[in-house]
Amino acid sequence: MTQTVSQQGIRVAGDTNVGKVRSTNEDSMIVDPVRGLYVVLDGMGGANAGDVASQTARDAIREFVMQRRTAMEPRALLEAAIQHASATVWNAAQQVRERHGMGTTVVGCIVVDPKRAVVAHVGDSRAYLLRNGRVQMLTRDHTIVEELVDKGLLSAEEAERHPYKNVLSRNLGAKPEARVDLVDVELRPGDRLMLCSDGLYGYASAEAIQYLLGSGDAPEHVARDLIDLALRGGGGDNVTAIVIEAPQPPASSTEVVRTTGAMAWWQRRSRFLQVAKDRGLTKNPIVRGLDPEEALELIASSLCQAIFHDLEKSTGVNVWTFAQNIAGGWFERSGDWAPLRALMDILATSARAVVDEIGVADTNLGFLLSIAVSRALVVAELAIGGLLADRLNRVDAELIKVHAAMQETIEGAIDTAQETALEDTGDRFIDRPTVPFMRPDRPVTNPGVNAELISAIEKTITIARGRTSQRAELVRQILGALETIAIDATGNFASAVLAARDIYGVRPVDDTGVMPLYDALDQARIITAASVHQISASDALRAKVLRSLSGAHQRLVGATTGLVLEAVAPYSERLREVQAKTAEMRDQVAKFERKRADLERKYATTIDHSQPWEKRGTTEW
Amino acid sequence: MSDVDLVEAVRVLRDEVLDTVEHGDRDPPGAEVFDAIVSALQIGGESIPALDLTLHDAVARRLAWGDSEESVLADAEAVFDRLMTAVERSLADPPDRMVIFEAATQVAVTVARVVSLAAVARATRDRAARLREEMAQKQLEVVLEKQRSSIVRMELETEP
Repeated sequence: MTQTVSQQGIRVAGDTNVGKVRSTNEDSMIVDPVRGLYVVLDGMGGANAGDVASQTARDAIREFVMQRRTAMEPRALLEAAIQHASATVWNAAQQVRERHGMGTTVVGCIVVDPKRAVVAHVGDSRAYLLRNGRVQMLTRDHTIVEELVDKGLLSAEEAERHPYKNVLSRNLGAKPEARVDLVDVELRPGDRLMLCSDGLYGYASAEAIQYLLGSGDAPEHVARDLIDLALRGGGGDNVTAIVIEAPQPPASSTEVVRTTGAMAWWQRRSRFLQVAKDRGLTKNPIVRGLDPEEALELIASSLCQAIFHDLEKSTGVNVWTFAQNIAGGWFERSGDWAPLRALMDILATSARAVVDEIGVADTNLGFLLSIAVSRALVVAELAIGGLLADRLNRVDAELIKVHAAMQETIEGAIDTAQETALEDTGDRFIDRPTVPFMRPDRPVTNPGVNAELISAIEKTITIARGRTSQRAELVRQILGALETIAIDATGNFASAVLAARDIYGVRPVDDTGVMPLYDALDQARIITAASVHQISASDALRAKVLRSLSGAHQRLVGATTGLVLEAVAPYSERLREVQAKTAEMRDQVAKFERKRADLERKYATTIDHSQPWEKRGTTEW
Repeated sequence: MSDVDLVEAVRVLRDEVLDTVEHGDRDPPGAEVFDAIVSALQIGGESIPALDLTLHDAVARRLAWGDSEESVLADAEAVFDRLMTAVERSLADPPDRMVIFEAATQVAVTVARVVSLAAVARATRDRAARLREEMAQKQLEVVLEKQRSSIVRMELETEP
């Protein structure tokens, strides 16, 4: 396999294979991106002369082009090179008796520049052009049958069935001079030229060749796949293919942002963190109580990563989720608007610093990125705006409720308002250290367990909470339970059972009631396992954390299933009770039946047979 | 992660985890859980429908042979605990251990889900059976009533 990219951005790859039947490869090729020369030759002739012919012609063409390329115009150069090769092969054949009659086909191409190429051929090796997904053949095989068709002496159908359809009318080496067919090709961006020997198109369908050429894969993959295709089709001949791809059209702005832009952004993430730190992100009340590094990791690094993923995919999903998680957690605990606004401003400033830095290095890229990053920041603002609107709606609803209560009874309303006020202000979140999923003030409840492990477990659960949607209440509850169980040094089942009872709550004993529990447990498991990999800790500590959380998960799942079994147990007990009662009733029926039989026997002895039927009485039931 | 073949590394722990010596030729309790962990490691990834099906079959078979759901669950827990200990002792590389912990937890949740499904299905069957019993009881009550009145009448008629 030969593959290369020329200085002009032209990508080329060539490959050749002996096939599955022949023992020698009589095909040759030239892939010379420096001179823009690409040639496929298919030798023929007995006693190993085929490979000699193709190699002789190959060397002759290469030499000729190297020596004359500056002196001749490309079209004339290629034609003259092929004619020179023909003479060289013919002369070589005359010198060795066994090589008389050897020859070779040739299809060659000189790519003058990314917009122009010249194709020449002699024999049945072919050149194809792929443009806009469609393949067209640039050459016409030099066979006797084809020439008869050209002269109108044979129809296409007759040609297809003709016994001499593969007999060549022209080749290099049969005569000292050769008649060369030439085609000028105007290349367009993304065009692909393919040169091949008959070992390819003879053993692969035109549709399959078109499919592979148009697949969009890199030329080296296409060349390899074309060879594979011919081999799968039987591989009855030597097979050679060269794929030449004209430079692709310039990438669109979106593509630039998705590739170069996203990469440039990611490479400057440390700058983003630095600016966020300098601007005081670590002192923001939202992250109060957290270690500065952790705060940067949780907030700045997460946003930086979210923007990177959104740039890569041209979406706003990640930034939206990030903003919702941060703001949702903050608002849920009655956090004020100001710290959130300040946090977003810090993050926006950091983002702009990164974009400016990129802009200094590459103005165009900086401009495109500034638009894309601004868009991401707008998405974040919109997400927060949505939450803010929800929050205002809730406040409205509360006010309406209080107002309605006041209408009913002034005194009652005052009491309610006082209670509400106490609830709201007595334990305001703004006075607490941080958002709900960051709990640095959690006391180390278990001195028996390594404090480092506990801290790592807490960090894992904190990250897991951050990755869980606010609406996934059950999953969040399970994460909390896992944390509690994992850091419970006693290792007994009590904490798992207590947590399971909380999680189980009240639910119907059927699939719809029970299955959501397991779905949430499974989800929590996946999120936890992923979060363990995100904590900054040694592998050994991570393994310990996962071991603890896995154990906790197993205990929680066991306890939950125990509760399910406990919930279904009354059904079985009740059934057993009912079955016992039925058995008792059946016994009673049997007992009565025996008694009735006794009475019937007694009655039979006392009956007065002289009486008419209606006066004898009856035992029918 | 090291180059250790984790599937093989867990397989060699089978005797230790399942205590096969104790059970001779019989399949030791919890074998289905151990095999599921091995198969989870073989397949990898999060979406393993085959795991659900295999465990469902295995648990259903045990229940059909008269084992209780509690005993299936207890066996799964025992296998989990023993495997965790054995893995910590036998595998030196923490990332290797983590892969096995993840697979074991996944199987633990799946077993619990399957056992719960079986229990809920049993509860549904029990509820239907109870309804049938109660209908039979109503018919028996009618019969008993008829028997009772007939006996009373016959006793009256046969009194001297």
